[in-house]
Amino acid sequence: MRIWRLVNVPRVHLAMLWCASWLVPSRQRREWLAEWRAELWHVLHRDSRQPFIGSCDAGEAIAFCLGAFQDAFWFRKNSPQSKTQGWFQWDSARQCGVFLALLAAATLLIALLLPGARSALQRSPYQDENSLVLISHESVYHNARIPTISIEEYRAWRLRKQDLFTDFAFYRPIRSQIQGAQRRTTGLSIAVASDNLFDMLKIQVASPALEEARRDNKPALVLSQAAWHRYFEGDPHLVGRVLEVAGQQAVVVAVVSDDSWQLPDQMDAWLLENDHDLIALPPESTGFVLGHMTKVALATKPRGRWHMSVSWKGDYDGYDCVSLAELIQQPSSIFLFTLMLACLALPATTPLSLGDYPVTSESLFAATCWRRWGFLMVKIALILPIVYYGSLNLAYINTSLRPMSSEYIQLVASFTGCLLSFRWALRDQRQRCPVCLRLLINPARVGEPSRNFLAWNGTEMMCNRGHGLLHIPELSTSWCGTQCWLQLDPSWKSLFQEAYLPNAGTF
Amino acid sequence: MAVESKLSHTAAIILQAIHAGYIYGFGVMEMTGLPSGTVYPAMRRLERDELIRSYWEQQSIADAEQRPLRKYYKLTRAGKATLEASQKRYPLLTRLVPSPEVKQA
Repeated sequence: MRIWRLVNVPRVHLAMLWCASWLVPSRQRREWLAEWRAELWHVLHRDSRQPFIGSCDAGEAIAFCLGAFQDAFWFRKNSPQSKTQGWFQWDSARQCGVFLALLAAATLLIALLLPGARSALQRSPYQDENSLVLISHESVYHNARIPTISIEEYRAWRLRKQDLFTDFAFYRPIRSQIQGAQRRTTGLSIAVASDNLFDMLKIQVASPALEEARRDNKPALVLSQAAWHRYFEGDPHLVGRVLEVAGQQAVVVAVVSDDSWQLPDQMDAWLLENDHDLIALPPESTGFVLGHMTKVALATKPRGRWHMSVSWKGDYDGYDCVSLAELIQQPSSIFLFTLMLACLALPATTPLSLGDYPVTSESLFAATCWRRWGFLMVKIALILPIVYYGSLNLAYINTSLRPMSSEYIQLVASFTGCLLSFRWALRDQRQRCPVCLRLLINPARVGEPSRNFLAWNGTEMMCNRGHGLLHIPELSTSWCGTQCWLQLDPSWKSLFQEAYLPNAGTF
Repeated sequence: MAVESKLSHTAAIILQAIHAGYIYGFGVMEMTGLPSGTVYPAMRRLERDELIRSYWEQQSIADAEQRPLRKYYKLTRAGKATLEASQKRYPLLTRLVPSPEVKQA
């Protein structure tokens, strides 16, 4: 048969047919594609032979080509070839494992490609995350991500002799207009900060311009990499330029990577000012205060969160101190929490029992049992990275979301993913032959519900290799409480040869 | 092959259309108004049940008309018997798609 070269046929239609043809078993694919291509030609040239009908519009031709997928699916479903493809079969344990491994690799790859997910996977960028604490007023204990400390309090703490802290740093998030590339004015999220902020966090800003700005007592502006690209088009000569920020002239001294800032509020830039300039802020201005704990305090105070009382204006105020290690929730800790929750909730969604399997049976010797348990463990081991990376991808796909929103998304996605996938793993395990680990087929109803107390009533499934039959009771009874495996001896095997098994499509 | 009782109305219309001379998939689509996703899988089922048979037209005819080679379908003996039974079951079938004999009359 000669394939007619189709001229004047839109490539999109041919591409659709070509894609659909991959669903057709290879032996029938060529003929199937030839028929559909010929029919498509007639669909597109209908007007030339029947002018009164009118020309075929693009939508009609696309609808025609979409039908090819249904036809191809029919071939796929009813072809004997798809039923006897050896080891590469959907119901086999190996194929199930390969599919899960590929899915795990795909989710990991996506996580590495998504900038938000990649930075979340990295370790905390702060070396002293245990000795650095974020201080907030006690009244907002549960949310250390809201600025509560006034500049007045910060100033007083710095001047006072401290037992618990060696140093403090302050930053106040503001919104300010900056003239960006091509003289466009844009609004940026800026942290007006004390000039020791980056030193305390040990973020490397090695720049001669910074030293020069400090020497001249000028405010220094540090940009995030994202803001540098977005608002200044990645201008390589930006460092050293003077910009007007929040009513004062600041020198751009450096650009830092986006991953280096993980404290509350997403920032585009940091305006580093000396204490003298910070005093110019109104006394009631609130911001975040970062404290560096002394070694003694580090040894005596509990890790994570702790409380302190400080005298202020003749009264004692309560403050909460949250270490950066506690504040920057690692995705792995969220995942472990949801994993625990999912394990607790699992028995409410599906029975944990895998059924009764006769241990004395000759075919179910120890190696087979270990293989069965090994398969379950492999499934669970592959599910964990799929859910972990999958929930991370979902949480950090949108980089404009606030960190807390991303954490909530990860929490929900991770819990749902763990619960549903564990449920699937158990249900899948229960429906597999314990010997060859293939999915059991041909479910058949046996017995009558009305005679449940007189005879067995439920569903019977069989292994297509003749290893046995699985009896799943409709109702749990004293003689049949859970699904039960009936092992068949090898003499039954001849009845279960695959060649003699009826094709599901012929029913 | 006794499959008359299993033939759906859609399958009966397609069988009737092929009998009426619409012997390729797109022709059946135009006659019946059914979409391609229904017509072609239905014709596969009819062919599997040996009610219709497919064959490729001669290359020379397609070459002479400057078009790709086309696959045609025709009723088998079992298909004709099934169609007769379906016409009794669905009396409006011959009105929807007139048989060649009716058209000639």
